[in-house]
Amino acid sequence: MKKENQKNTFKTPEGYFDSFNERLMARLADEEEVKSDIIPLNDGFVVPEHYFETVYDSVKNRLQGKGAKVIALGTYRTVYYAAAAVIALLVLTVAWNWSSEPQLRFEDLASTDITSYLESNDLGLSSYEIAEVVDLEEINLSDIMETQLEEEVILDYLNENVEEIEELNLEYDEIE
Amino acid sequence: MIVEETLVAELKDKQTQAKAFEVLVNTYKERLYWHIRRIVLSHDDADDVLQNTFIKVFKNIESFKGESKLYSWMYRIATNESLTFLSQKSKKLGVTNEALKETLAENLESDVYFEGDAIQLKLQKALATLPEKQKLVFTMKYFQEMKYEEISEILETSVGGLKASYHLAVKKIESYLTGAD
Repeated sequence: MKKENQKNTFKTPEGYFDSFNERLMARLADEEEVKSDIIPLNDGFVVPEHYFETVYDSVKNRLQGKGAKVIALGTYRTVYYAAAAVIALLVLTVAWNWSSEPQLRFEDLASTDITSYLESNDLGLSSYEIAEVVDLEEINLSDIMETQLEEEVILDYLNENVEEIEELNLEYDEIE
Repeated sequence: MIVEETLVAELKDKQTQAKAFEVLVNTYKERLYWHIRRIVLSHDDADDVLQNTFIKVFKNIESFKGESKLYSWMYRIATNESLTFLSQKSKKLGVTNEALKETLAENLESDVYFEGDAIQLKLQKALATLPEKQKLVFTMKYFQEMKYEEISEILETSVGGLKASYHLAVKKIESYLTGAD
């Protein structure tokens, strides 16, 4: 420490360090109250004349339910939406009842609708149940097979697996 | 100078409540009004929020336990009411809080209860860019000349934190005001 002071060629005013604390505290106190040179001291807001004289009466009236505040429509927006939805539902229900036809019967269904329903829905019937209701003479192989067999594939199968063509018990015109 | 404890006791007593409430409103209306006005900016909105604040104070006086000063408690209610008001307004308009603050500052140009010049208008625009807490600290310190200890009790923030916020706010505002448009 002594060595450093010996090297130091700078000087301070007499008693500088004695008054340092006081000056620092004074500076800190100033900073507390600092006002900017750039920022205006007044922000430019004003109030209507005699406004503050009316505040107590306004609050009292509101507490007593007098001079109720006008509430913006937006506050009740959800209530209006709900009411509108209920009215719309009622109108639709009434309109539906007026315009709807008598109840549908089976005969009213187009056969294409029934076909498409049967094609797109699994009825869960076994082959025996189908056989009971469907006339064999009217049924084709393609009606019960999910995949269509090409004629060529069938012939290949028969060539490989049937030794005697007579076993098939086909009538003459069918072979041709 | 009213004694807070006495006023609170009178407010809680049905017999003396009405008179005490009148004293309370007349004592704090101006200070609370300016605090609210500097948050919501428009006079009509400030009037609305001020009334809400007093009504809330009246209805909740029973729950005031005296752990803080009545004055700080009312300021806290006023601050919350003002911020809630702005938040509801921005939701109603479908904009963000930041966008609403910018719009409110822009609207001051045509506000009959704003007599500020160009630099005061620019100050409001600068304040609109500050984070909420910095803006609160700045207006409470700079315009309302409150002590850090008072602000600390209202905003429930340390004095050190408030000083830092204030310092930052001043720097940002000065930079905004001296910057090019």
